[in-house]
Amino acid sequence: MKSPSTHFKEHLVRQLPVAIAFIDAQFQLVDASDQWFELYKAEKDTANPSIFECFRTHEGCSPELLREFLVGSDTRTLKHKELSDEGKRVFESTFSPWYDEKENIKGTLIHSLDITREYLKDKELKKVNALMEATAEVAKVGSWEYNLTTEKLSWCKTTKEIHQVPLDYEPTVAEAIEFYKQGYSRNRISMLFHKVLQDGSSFNERLQIVTKRGEERWIASGGKPIVKNGKITKIFGTFQDIHEQVITEKRTKESEQLLTTLIDNLPINVFIKDKDSRKILVNKAECEYLGTTPKELIGKTDFELYDKDIAQISRDEDLEVMRSLTPMLGKQTLGVKKDGTLTHFLTSKIPLLDVDGKAYALIGMSMDITNLKQKEEQLHNLINVTAIQNKKLINFAHIVSHNLRSHSANFSMLLDFLVNEKDANEQQRIIKMLTSAADNLMDTLENLNEVVEISTNINLDKKSLNLLEHVERVEQNLSAFIEKNTVSIALDIDPKLKVKSVPAYLESIILNLMTNAVKYREPERESKIELKAVKENNHVVFSVTDNGLGIDMQRYGNKLFGMYKTFHNHKDARGLGLYIIKNQIEAMGGNIQADSTPGKGSTFKVYFNEEA
Amino acid sequence: MKKLKCLYIIDDDPITVFGIKKMLNATIECENIRTFENGKLALESIHEAQQNGEILPEVIFLDINMPIMDGWEFLAEFLKIRFPEKVIINVITSSIDPADYQKWNEFRLNCYHYLNFKNKPLFKIEPTDLSRINLAS
Repeated sequence: MKSPSTHFKEHLVRQLPVAIAFIDAQFQLVDASDQWFELYKAEKDTANPSIFECFRTHEGCSPELLREFLVGSDTRTLKHKELSDEGKRVFESTFSPWYDEKENIKGTLIHSLDITREYLKDKELKKVNALMEATAEVAKVGSWEYNLTTEKLSWCKTTKEIHQVPLDYEPTVAEAIEFYKQGYSRNRISMLFHKVLQDGSSFNERLQIVTKRGEERWIASGGKPIVKNGKITKIFGTFQDIHEQVITEKRTKESEQLLTTLIDNLPINVFIKDKDSRKILVNKAECEYLGTTPKELIGKTDFELYDKDIAQISRDEDLEVMRSLTPMLGKQTLGVKKDGTLTHFLTSKIPLLDVDGKAYALIGMSMDITNLKQKEEQLHNLINVTAIQNKKLINFAHIVSHNLRSHSANFSMLLDFLVNEKDANEQQRIIKMLTSAADNLMDTLENLNEVVEISTNINLDKKSLNLLEHVERVEQNLSAFIEKNTVSIALDIDPKLKVKSVPAYLESIILNLMTNAVKYREPERESKIELKAVKENNHVVFSVTDNGLGIDMQRYGNKLFGMYKTFHNHKDARGLGLYIIKNQIEAMGGNIQADSTPGKGSTFKVYFNEEA
Repeated sequence: MKKLKCLYIIDDDPITVFGIKKMLNATIECENIRTFENGKLALESIHEAQQNGEILPEVIFLDINMPIMDGWEFLAEFLKIRFPEKVIINVITSSIDPADYQKWNEFRLNCYHYLNFKNKPLFKIEPTDLSRINLAS
């Protein structure tokens, strides 16, 4: 029978807010708190069960170990794990001797705690730490910590390795700062460290250090305050070796810079186009040519920049280059901008291949050769002009030599006759002929002189002259000649119309054309001459139409304006008038054309150049 | 003295015509020496003579540079006419342009008649200018 006090005590044990059990010397459970039973999921009513039964499913507490703990006279702690299907629970049990009133050991007091959560947290922490260390080693990210209270700076292993100091090295703040490269890096870190201490501003900066072994290396240093109760207690920081990265970056940047500078400053248009012929890179020259910015150009096709036909040609070239993978080199192309500006280019297009050898874009280079082209054209024109001039000169030289020769030949022949002639009458006759030959030679020389004067007169003094006034003046001078031949003249010239001409030439032109029209009239019909003038573009066209004999243009067309060419049996025909006025007109930058039908009449049209 | 029935001088220069006539007088007898100022007149005369069955020229002195129809044009037309006998044509020119000589040579190679080339000044008429048979015999 239990005494009430015993009962009370028992009750007290039951209600203890901890898991506690009383074990007697025979290792039997004497009593335990409710929490004990809860913790060990044991039946309360089992009479004096063996304590070993409680720990049976536990790891880390074999009966041998338990027995040793249970009989001890000191307090011991044991960690053990429950092995069950519901997940592992971790316990911490404290074994203390159970004394009776007389201080005799009566048994053992076991106090158990479920420490599963702490255990797991601890395990997690260890894992995280290990991971961090591994990460730090791989990424070369180290850490450091500065304790404001103790003024102690500590570096992690990686940080020490980056500094190339032994692992037992313990830096001071001053020493740590000394490691930074003198100048910017050191000044900067001093400032940043001061600031984080002062007002807690975090930092992360790329700086250079000089390691223990004297190597200069790029590092990224970061710092962050740890605040407790509104006060900065610690500075925690990272320390990373970014040397290779910075160097690579620098090199990439440098080569990029080099390439950009090169491409931008090439005096040719450079562009890269993607498969759809959209521009994905343009250089300065290309932008300048198109009068816009790279931003505007990127993504645009030729169709948005050039004339449609030109764009289509370019697109076809692009497709061909990317299809055949064959570069197009130094092709002469034409660029016509939307506003119609025309540029000649020497263009090359080179396919850009991906790793599979397929073209994914093309590089284009265009050199503006408009100036060259223009020069070439000018040269061509010059050569043409020169060739024509040369032909004219040769022609003229032949005419001269022929005409002079024919006279001198006559002299030679006649003189030869004279020397051998004995008959006085015949001698007189030959001398008469010699005189006539001399006169002819004089005439010829005068004619030639007239022609040479036109050809040598390069700086012509052209004036704006009233055409009608000049025509009327010539008509006045010819009035006797015109009246004698009964020719009627019709004028259809604007009294205000002016032509640019050398005054003497204009007179010569009008005189020759009018004289010819009268001279070669058809005597069988009433002769009419019509003089007209109209303005056409940059020319004033002055035309003289007659209803005279006309000329067979098919036969004589190419000789009409030749020297010493006459086409009618006319006693006054010298074969010089048309030759001279043609030279005069051409010397003034104009030209003359003839249209004629034999038996009907002729029209001569003079084009006065009003521009030059 | 050799005799010729008909001879043409086609030249617009009266001095040359005078000279040729003078030299001919010293060389041959010819009752029918005709002169023409240009090729066209000479050609018309030949056509007329042919139509009327009149005598045709045996020898022609032909100038190159003439108005209306020059020597080359005359030759081109002349060669189209069928002649029973070969005619001796003496091309006379004061030109020393090689192109003229070449042109003459082209005509000569493609020509049924005898073609001579004579540069002015003329001082003497050669026998070959008048007759080829003489040369052969």
